[in-house]
Amino acid sequence: MRLTRAVWAAGVLGLVTVASPSFAQKQGGTLRISHRDNPPSASIHEESTISVVQPFMAVFNNLVVFDPKEKVNSPDHIVGDLADSWSWSDDKTKLTFKLHQGVKWHDGQPFTSKDVKCTWDALAGKDSDIIRKDPRKIWYNNLKDVTTNGDYEVTFVLGRPEPSFLTMLAGGYSPVYSCHVPDRVMRSKPIGTGPFKVVDFKRNESIKLVRNPDYFKKGKPYLDAIDWKIVPNRSTRLLGFQSGEFDMTFDSDVTFPLLKDVMAQKPNAVCEARPTNVNSNILINRDAPPFDNPQVRKALVLALDIKAFNQILSQGHDLDGAAMLPPPAGFWGMPADMLATLPGHSPDVEKSRAEARKIMEGLGYGPNKPLKIKVATRNIAIYRDPAVILIDQLKQIYIDGELDPIDTTIWYNKIAKKDYQLGMNLTGIGIDDPDVNFYENFYSTSDRNYTGYKNAEVDKLIDQQSAELDMGKRKKIVWEIEKKLADDVARPVIGHNVANTCWDPKVKGLVLQVNSIYNGWRFEDVWLDK
Amino acid sequence: MTVIDHNAALARAGANVTGWWSRTLFFARRYPLGAVGAVIVAAFVFTAVFADVIAPVDPTATNAKYSLAPPSSMFWLGADFMGRDMYSRIIHGARVSLAVGAGAMGLGCVLGIAIGLASGYLSGWVDLALQRLMDIMQALPLLVLAIIMAASLGPSLRNTIFAIAIPLVPSVARVVRSSTLSLRELPFVEAARAVGMGELRIAVRHVLPNTLAPLIVLATAQLGSAILVEASLSFLGLGVPEPHPSWGRMLSESAAEYVRTAPWLVIWPGVAISLTVFGTNLLGDALRDLLDPRQRS
Amino acid sequence: MGAYLVRRLLLMAVTLVGMSILIFALLRMVPGNIADILMDASGNDDPKEKARIVHDLGLDRPVTEQYWQWIDGLAHGDLGYAFVSERPAIEEIAPRIPISGKLAGLAIVFAILLGVPLGVVSAVRQNTGLDYGLRVLSLSGLSFPSFWLGLLVLMASVQWFGTIPIYDADAHGFFAQVKMLALPAIVVGFRSSALIMRLTRSSMLEVLRQDYVRTARSKGASNASVNYDHALRNALLPVITVIGIEAAFLVGGLIVTETVFNIPGVARFLVEAIRWRDYPIVQNLTMLIAVVVVTMNFLVDMAYMVLDPRIKFG
Repeated sequence: MRLTRAVWAAGVLGLVTVASPSFAQKQGGTLRISHRDNPPSASIHEESTISVVQPFMAVFNNLVVFDPKEKVNSPDHIVGDLADSWSWSDDKTKLTFKLHQGVKWHDGQPFTSKDVKCTWDALAGKDSDIIRKDPRKIWYNNLKDVTTNGDYEVTFVLGRPEPSFLTMLAGGYSPVYSCHVPDRVMRSKPIGTGPFKVVDFKRNESIKLVRNPDYFKKGKPYLDAIDWKIVPNRSTRLLGFQSGEFDMTFDSDVTFPLLKDVMAQKPNAVCEARPTNVNSNILINRDAPPFDNPQVRKALVLALDIKAFNQILSQGHDLDGAAMLPPPAGFWGMPADMLATLPGHSPDVEKSRAEARKIMEGLGYGPNKPLKIKVATRNIAIYRDPAVILIDQLKQIYIDGELDPIDTTIWYNKIAKKDYQLGMNLTGIGIDDPDVNFYENFYSTSDRNYTGYKNAEVDKLIDQQSAELDMGKRKKIVWEIEKKLADDVARPVIGHNVANTCWDPKVKGLVLQVNSIYNGWRFEDVWLDK
Repeated sequence: MTVIDHNAALARAGANVTGWWSRTLFFARRYPLGAVGAVIVAAFVFTAVFADVIAPVDPTATNAKYSLAPPSSMFWLGADFMGRDMYSRIIHGARVSLAVGAGAMGLGCVLGIAIGLASGYLSGWVDLALQRLMDIMQALPLLVLAIIMAASLGPSLRNTIFAIAIPLVPSVARVVRSSTLSLRELPFVEAARAVGMGELRIAVRHVLPNTLAPLIVLATAQLGSAILVEASLSFLGLGVPEPHPSWGRMLSESAAEYVRTAPWLVIWPGVAISLTVFGTNLLGDALRDLLDPRQRS
Repeated sequence: MGAYLVRRLLLMAVTLVGMSILIFALLRMVPGNIADILMDASGNDDPKEKARIVHDLGLDRPVTEQYWQWIDGLAHGDLGYAFVSERPAIEEIAPRIPISGKLAGLAIVFAILLGVPLGVVSAVRQNTGLDYGLRVLSLSGLSFPSFWLGLLVLMASVQWFGTIPIYDADAHGFFAQVKMLALPAIVVGFRSSALIMRLTRSSMLEVLRQDYVRTARSKGASNASVNYDHALRNALLPVITVIGIEAAFLVGGLIVTETVFNIPGVARFLVEAIRWRDYPIVQNLTMLIAVVVVTMNFLVDMAYMVLDPRIKFG
């Protein structure tokens, strides 16, 4: 049994060498992976789901990328991809990239600095033919202009210093698109510069990628092809892996209750548990009764038994944290002793609940006069399960919750219209970075700030940490924001998910990154040892 | 279609019995399989009605400690992912199945009877229009129509009943219509008309009771298929939502996750559905033999 | 006869037109549309982007115009564009039809091979233990939810063979395909076989009571020859018709079985398309199913008329 349960933690401490020796790689073979659902499209910039990033990241390149050999995504481990080198101006507001020469798009057109400009002009919100939706517009609020100097130099002009800008360019969500391929094609059969080309993307059936023979990184990739088969039923997917139909599971597909079975049926499987940087959190409608009352909000958060959630949802493997992924996997999250002082994270649940009951009693509620509320959630299991547990826990403080399962198609609509009291939600963080997380989810003008949380003080702090160049000082501000969000019961975090990804031992050179599932899927270093 | 009298049918079947009890015994001897079916259906209805009393614990109470606990003296049929007692959930699931099954069958029958009576009795363009409507509804397999209806209406207990009831309407309407057509011209109906009885009253007082036998047979069969369709809809994620413990959904969710690690989660709801539908089918078969000799199998 | 045919065909046309209106209207009642879903996938709530999608897909036009556009397209053999894949709907639907077709065909073959002989045996041995056993078996066939049966088969397959049949689009050759589709076909066909068995049994019983069978027996024909020669041949007529009807209604069973076994056929595709509010796909697929059902019913009636001279149509 080669279960490497604690590999991510060990990796952080630098105890495990994960890079394969370069002389051993073998060329050829098809990597077969199961996919959990039909990707809404193939256009990474238009979507916000691992269902798109995991299969299609291999079709593209970024300007820069998190070092694929490192397990932790951090500002210290960023390497060039399409950019050979980069430099900041003295005032830290201009970021200039020197581009690799001779790179070709999969359709044979040359890659130039114009493509970079097209991509980020579109992402910053200018009219464009290459994307139709732009979920990460808020990332580029500070981007004022993109200028080119010849075909191989491009400069990003920022409104103020923002050290995280480079970090954001290094994630799986930041591929370079071309000027000449329209959005429709990008959604169905995208053209990139990456190690693999799309042969076919059949809805609900399969995604076939083949080796790009003209890839600009010589000798790579090692695989001839990657075959994704879309299998919506998890037990069928895992049976397929156990019986050797697949070489690898979908990312984080193996939950802890299932891990034992997978290992029993396929003893040589390599399974790695790591945080996904997806957290379960409670959406609170603070504009309508009863949760417009800060007292009720406080009682709610004091009633939470995070351990019990954790025990059921992941057999105790999920991580307790505030808004940012907690250390050691998380680069930015506050230390554990600080976390324990936040409401809802105290180890003495019974004491907190007694306090919550006192608050509720003060408001006139009691065992015979419970507060009746509805808990809305998407009508799919991963959302519903924590919601059911939440309702059960709220009984402890005289809150009688009823589950309100919402068809997933109208979920955001309902939340945006504030047509709910409590909601159970999952939030995936594309990059473990405070700018990405805070601007998306808590900044007052973001269109992904679903609860419409507005706090001028928090906005100011977010801007302040974003411009801070000193890492130590910045972390302090980040923790302050985490604490403010928790004290204000902005979006109480139930837990940061941890799950397993498994592969056959013949799959080599794969390095899972421990603080985001959305990065590290280029597949150019992966090879099959047959 | 002939007029069928329950007692006459029993008498024809060779019964020389009186009294409810002895008649039941006779039925049991004559149709042993049917009796088994009747017992199953009765047990199912009893369970559904008294679920609160029978179930040992609250079917929605979660408990982290017992997540996926195997069957034991504490959890007779094991516990699910959230530590909820499977036995209690299955007991309460009977209530959901009965609510959907009986609700859909009842609604389907009421609508079908109304349409069938109107169609057969009024004839003319009303008949033509209603029959075309039935044609349209029957041009899709039951499950397909139910899926489209369920998706259109959104997930809720009431909507699921409605989505299953609508596809059941045409077969009821057809049976009622054909009985009505043949009954309309019979002497006793003519007589009622002659003494000045209103048409609607004739339809309800004289025609409807005489279509009862084939209707009972059909309704029993439909109860079974309504339960099956609910299970299929829930399996596809379109049926009765949480927190109602639906057998079909329990099955689909456990199957998607724990078919190997916790097989009891897949076995028991499946057994519950199959047994219930099996019971209604056995009973339905016997009733058909009894009440509708022309279709005797 | 000619007049009857014309009337039948006319009614079929009316049914199909009605179906097109019904499905079109139902879909527009569904809460949420494709734009909601696409925005949901990206997780941002931007009314401007959403409006653009709605406009691009023509969903902001009057519904009557949208309906007419669909019907006009159908008349010209143009099924429109799928909302999700943005490819011609025909390219999405056509390759999936043979997959479901093969599965349904195999299921029917299995159902006949199992249902007819068992039905005959059950009738010949009426009221014996064997008969009771077979009747209980057939009733259980009608009682098992097919997805549960499918799951049990999958579990057993892993237990015994250590593997499950995963659909492979590249499997060519008759035997490779049969091997791949056999298990799901058995699961789908089991229900039909139960129905066929019941019908074979009851029509066999009816024929066995007929005068000419008694005559044949009294003339000294052997039991076997009477049972299998005279009776079976005559009993097959209703069986053929139920096979015709069942073939169309298999679609229901295909939906769940294709989901359980992950087969990319049209039936599962329909459910996916409903979930995605992919109107062009749902509309055209539903019409396709309706055409198949209506045509099957028509053929069954015709078969009756040709095979059974006692039935007259006026």
